[in-house]
Amino acid sequence: MKKLLYTTALSALLIAGAGCSKSKLNLLPFNQLATSAAFANQADFTYAVNGMYQGLRASGSYFDGTWNIIADVLGDNLIINPTGRQSLKSYYIYTYTSSATYGLFSGGYTITRRANAILENIGNLPAGTFKNDVQGQALALRAMTYFDMARVYSKTYLNASDADFTLPYVTTTAATNLPASEPLKGFYDKVIADLVAAEALINPLATNKDIYLNKEAVAGLLSRVYLYKGDYANCIAQANIALGATPNLPSVTTFPSIWTDATESGVLFKVKNTTIDNLNNLGVNYYQYTPPPAGNPTGNGYKSEYLPDFGLYSSYDATDVRKSSYFLTFYYNGALENHIIKYAGRSGPPISATGVVNTNTTNPAGVVDGKALRTAEVLLNRMEAEYRSGATGPALADLVLLKTNRYTGYAGSAIATADAALSGAGLLNEILLQRRLELAFEGDRFFDLKRLNLPVARTNKGEKADGSGTLPLSLGIPAGDYRFQLPYPQSEILFNPNIKQNPGAY
Amino acid sequence: MKKLLLVSLCFLVLCVTQVFAQNRTVTGTVTAKDDGLPIPGVTVKIKGTGVGTPTDVNGKYSISVPAGATLQFSFISFLSQDIPVNGRNVIDVVLAPNTKELNEVVVVGYQTIQRKDAVGSLSVVDAKKFEEKPIVSFLQDLQGTAPGVQVTGSSGRPGNNAVIRIRGTGSITASSDPLIVVDGIQVATVAYAELNPDDIDNVTILKDASAVAIYGSRGSNGVILVTTKSGKANAPSLHYSFRYGKTQRQDFKNVTLMSSAQKLQYEYDAKYLDPTLDTMLINRGLPEDLSAITDAQRQTLWNLAISRGAGDWSKYLFQNATTRTHSISLSGGADKISYFLSGDINDNAGVERYSGFNRKGGRLNVTYQALPWFKMGTNIGVTTSHDNRVREAYNSQNSYAALFFFNPYEQPYNNDGTFNTTAQGFSPLEGAVNNPVSYDIVSDFGTFFAEANFFKHLTIKSQYAINYNTQNYQSYLQPGSNLAIILGYNQKQDQIQQNFFYSFTNTANWNQTVGGHHTFNALLGTEYDKGNLYTLSATGRGFPSKDFTTLENAATPTQASTSITQFSLISYFGALNYDYDKRYFINITGRRDGSSRFGANVQFANFGAIGAAWDLKNEKFLSLPNWISDLKLRGSFGTSGNNNITDYQALATYQTSKYNDQTAIIPSKLANPNLTWETSHSQDGGITYGFLDSRITGELDYYNRVNSNLLYPVNVSATTGFASYTGNVGAVRNRGVEFSINGSVVRTKDLKWDLNFMYSHNDNVVTQLYSNNAVGINASGIQRLVQGEPINVYYLVKEQGVNPADGKEVYYNLDGSTTETYVGSQAAILHNKSANVKHFGSFGTTLNYKGLDFSASFYYSGGNWIYNQIWMDETSSSSVNGNLFTEAANYWKKPGDVVPYPRVLDPATGKPDGTQATENYTTKYLEKGDYVELRDVTLGYTIPTRITKKYHVQSIRVFAQGTNLLMWTKYHGNPEFAEAGETASFAGSLALYGYPPIKGYTFGVDVRF
Repeated sequence: MKKLLYTTALSALLIAGAGCSKSKLNLLPFNQLATSAAFANQADFTYAVNGMYQGLRASGSYFDGTWNIIADVLGDNLIINPTGRQSLKSYYIYTYTSSATYGLFSGGYTITRRANAILENIGNLPAGTFKNDVQGQALALRAMTYFDMARVYSKTYLNASDADFTLPYVTTTAATNLPASEPLKGFYDKVIADLVAAEALINPLATNKDIYLNKEAVAGLLSRVYLYKGDYANCIAQANIALGATPNLPSVTTFPSIWTDATESGVLFKVKNTTIDNLNNLGVNYYQYTPPPAGNPTGNGYKSEYLPDFGLYSSYDATDVRKSSYFLTFYYNGALENHIIKYAGRSGPPISATGVVNTNTTNPAGVVDGKALRTAEVLLNRMEAEYRSGATGPALADLVLLKTNRYTGYAGSAIATADAALSGAGLLNEILLQRRLELAFEGDRFFDLKRLNLPVARTNKGEKADGSGTLPLSLGIPAGDYRFQLPYPQSEILFNPNIKQNPGAY
Repeated sequence: MKKLLLVSLCFLVLCVTQVFAQNRTVTGTVTAKDDGLPIPGVTVKIKGTGVGTPTDVNGKYSISVPAGATLQFSFISFLSQDIPVNGRNVIDVVLAPNTKELNEVVVVGYQTIQRKDAVGSLSVVDAKKFEEKPIVSFLQDLQGTAPGVQVTGSSGRPGNNAVIRIRGTGSITASSDPLIVVDGIQVATVAYAELNPDDIDNVTILKDASAVAIYGSRGSNGVILVTTKSGKANAPSLHYSFRYGKTQRQDFKNVTLMSSAQKLQYEYDAKYLDPTLDTMLINRGLPEDLSAITDAQRQTLWNLAISRGAGDWSKYLFQNATTRTHSISLSGGADKISYFLSGDINDNAGVERYSGFNRKGGRLNVTYQALPWFKMGTNIGVTTSHDNRVREAYNSQNSYAALFFFNPYEQPYNNDGTFNTTAQGFSPLEGAVNNPVSYDIVSDFGTFFAEANFFKHLTIKSQYAINYNTQNYQSYLQPGSNLAIILGYNQKQDQIQQNFFYSFTNTANWNQTVGGHHTFNALLGTEYDKGNLYTLSATGRGFPSKDFTTLENAATPTQASTSITQFSLISYFGALNYDYDKRYFINITGRRDGSSRFGANVQFANFGAIGAAWDLKNEKFLSLPNWISDLKLRGSFGTSGNNNITDYQALATYQTSKYNDQTAIIPSKLANPNLTWETSHSQDGGITYGFLDSRITGELDYYNRVNSNLLYPVNVSATTGFASYTGNVGAVRNRGVEFSINGSVVRTKDLKWDLNFMYSHNDNVVTQLYSNNAVGINASGIQRLVQGEPINVYYLVKEQGVNPADGKEVYYNLDGSTTETYVGSQAAILHNKSANVKHFGSFGTTLNYKGLDFSASFYYSGGNWIYNQIWMDETSSSSVNGNLFTEAANYWKKPGDVVPYPRVLDPATGKPDGTQATENYTTKYLEKGDYVELRDVTLGYTIPTRITKKYHVQSIRVFAQGTNLLMWTKYHGNPEFAEAGETASFAGSLALYGYPPIKGYTFGVDVRF
């Protein structure tokens, strides 16, 4: 009897096992959400908007990645340090190929896809300020990203013919999409259309703050695009919106605080990188610091990846606040070098030029917000547009305004006297020089040379503080060279027959 | 109720006793034919009944038998004998050893069968192989033990797992590891090193379709079944073993590092001024140029640097590590119960200083025959381990890399006793001390089962098994450590992983012989598996001092997170074995699996196989000559699958992240509702043979295995914001031959001499590929996936050599012309050159003379190519800031020099030539990975029983053993490595700076009471 009982029990288990329901296979992840449930309410959109900015931060090729150095490596602002880690060397010596090219192509589309998802679902939100602002931010962020991608991979508007093309301006989230290369000029029009639409919808800087896109930032971006397009009237008009009646640049005293995130003055848009995010790329792109060993104060020190071009470094006047904010002359293994400390971190550089150790260690080294747009750039856009549209008076006034806020004791100085006498090419050159000095190590120089159809011409000097050392491995590339347009990734060219590779690239 | 049951039981026992009390008592001694010694534990059974008794320690037995009974004497590895009692009271029996080793039982999928009835291709590895070695993980011990099973376990980190490939690499992105099942449950990778090798009774390796099909979607890469020891019906037997060993780093072959003097001379010739010398010049007020000072001044500086320097850095980075193991077990059994109880303590220092692994564990395996037709049991093992690791990375923060990167004239310590960070800016010794990393693991293996024989032919079994592992990971960037200063913060991360897996299996087994000739064995079963991985991770910063090691002391908590992933598997399976007269065998297997990992459209899939065998020796119409003692033909074909991919791959999802420390939602991946299994189709044909009274035995197998529907990222346009989704594309074929032969050269009572040889050959080829895979999946860009070539075939620019005229490196273009400019796009597919091992095996001998035993075994492997990154780094003048191989000095110096390495100086300028100081990936550093190694040599002595018996000890054996003592290879360095540090992708492809392989000696003693 018992035997029957045991056997029946075991047989029951066998059958129970066999009856295992199929539903036990439908397991869902704990940290992810089905795509269909991602845009249900206002909170979802807030999260999705944050997701766009997270993309700006997380991309290794953008604001908290290599964006703060790539345009300077490709340009004439830097010299590679022979004792550094040789990072980004292929860009410094122009040996990039389609199978090893800059990552903003896939990185950029990852970001614009997030904006596209928001715009495709925007109808889920009720009409009102929240909806308008979300829509405005998505449009503006998409346009900004596409414009930067075009600056990397394509010619600039004024140097392009109607036959020149750029990457596709994708506005859908369809996964099977195989878009085609687009005419460059039409692409600029799409960027402008998105920004103009965004400007009407988005909240002002005072509401959104500078870590989200805002009305002033959109106007500032428009002034940049119009300058590239050569539409100087619109450039000036948008710069006026971005800057307001009294531009906040800020002053000589406040300027250094921008780089330790101690002030928001003068910043229209930046990508937040918190201490918890802890992305130290911005700093590590330039150097890593090891304290000198006991008894050898010149040992170790700042191990720089790149050091300033000696010609650039010499262009900073001693009274220029940017010189002390961007550079620090100190040892690395016994040799003096002009290290770039613009991105040292919120606690500042670890040791001063005189060897005083920084006791503020509350913040991680090299972790700061990625600056995307500052008032100073908008002012530089405006003065150049003014100059090019013949308004040399306002252009000079803007130049003086900038320099007053950068040079200690500018008013009445010899520099001010010389500036007052500037006109014609002399004035333009000074405007362009100020642009280079102001925006050095901020993702501008190479694109600016491309825009101006100038060559990359590096100074034939070494990496040491006094210009000695190893000479540049490459002195640059001629104006209009095909290498100004970085190659599209080979994987995309192979996969998507509708995308054309840049002429000359391989 | 319980009381009633017990009373009934007692009554039953009484009745039984009553029945037999009426009969005669037979006594006797059972001895072995070969050595004449008594055999304990022999089963003495009355034929045709379940009544029996074991012999005692002295081989004696006593049993009551009815008149006319026949006694059956059986013992493992001896030939059974049936002896009619014929009215005798004393029957002494001499048992002859069974030399036909095939006459054993073997564990296969969900059941145990007679070895000689097996149709599929399988190998059995016996417990002896796992004893004696100074190696923690039993997986490494499988090397060279079975044909077709390639085991690479060269990283010498104690507790490190081996890479195992059964019949080649079958997957590209999914795991190619075999399924490992311990006592009926699949175990997690983390648990492999937690199993005490001394607890293992045997390991069965299932290779062909017929054998693995019962494991369905998990079987396509082969299955390794581990069975732990159980007690025998016997008096308690106590076994104690102690092992003491020394291990050290295996030296690299064919290359040597420069001495201080050689390196300083090289630097001087190369016009390189290193920071150490530079500082010395500055401190003395001399010009920062060694050629601007006198020869005497320079020599004085050099001598000083040499005298201060470390010289051989390995003295500081590595150690002669001690290993100690104590292992004790008690096993035995009576009529209804058998048990095995064990414990072990295992302490292994690592050869890299500050690394080490130690493990403590226990196990209890019990089976209880509660009723004549009902049995239950449990196998429970619990292990704890502590593992201190040093960092493995491709930079000077790794000890093994530091051995190459640190100059011999640099000091390990500064004059004030602090660690010298050297020209590399980091001291791995400092890192190991001040940035400790540890893993603490607790593993539980538990199997619980009940089994009922409803009637003679039917067995129903229900089994629940768990494998539960918790792993505590701690990584501390201590305040004041070099790395903490560089990063600007100190930090500690704690991570806890709970890996819980359970399996509920129910089987019914029908076993019957009809009409004397037809034997049926049918198996039906179901299985439900579920895995749950829970991870908790927390990080904090701002520790006041290194003495505070828990996160509550952190000023700022910076991160806290948990995650859970789950998977489940539902299965139905069946197998039918039939044989006719032990001549014709057939095996049919089927399995239906459903897995949570796959798309909703294709969650279920069917697998099956058919195998057949013909025993020619038993065949009636063939009369094989007497010298053939065994001959069997086998063949099989069928399918199995691989579901070893990340959970949730089929779903389209958004995941959370943060912006401005607030929640952000970001797209995570694209959906593929059609995502399904990798499927393996395989065929196998083989012969099992024995000649000359089984003095020569072995097997020969041929197989062909095609794995298709490989799990692989299917590209989408990058303009969609995604790179790919996981799909099923491509196929890989592995085809090969396996051969083994064992010979007993001498087989006498006192002297036994055996020789053995194994050979396996495998050809791996990608037969089908996703069309857009131009770039392929690889880490360093030196490999490709190409149809018609092995997986990850090398893709490199071909190098011609150094031009004797100008000292520049010369490369081939794709069109065959030569150039002195390296262009990456001129890389070519190197036909049939990949990291896949093509042939491997082992050969060895064992010799027993009276109490002495000696064995030696060699392992060989080859046909693979390795990109030797270390060789490249250590001969390029671009690595001049670290140490170099002595051969690096053999560079081009003047026109006409025919040398392996390009010029260091540009003759035009007399300055270092940056264009030749490069590390371009070319064929120059692609080398064959062929080697032969003396894997194992053992000498032991067993003290004669007649002596030990006086002290009530059954046996004492002392032994000395050496592991990896000798190696023969042409490779520069050490070709045997499985994982090359953190950056390697495909096993064995790129020789980087992983934990070095070890060699060692072990001394031990084994005592049995």
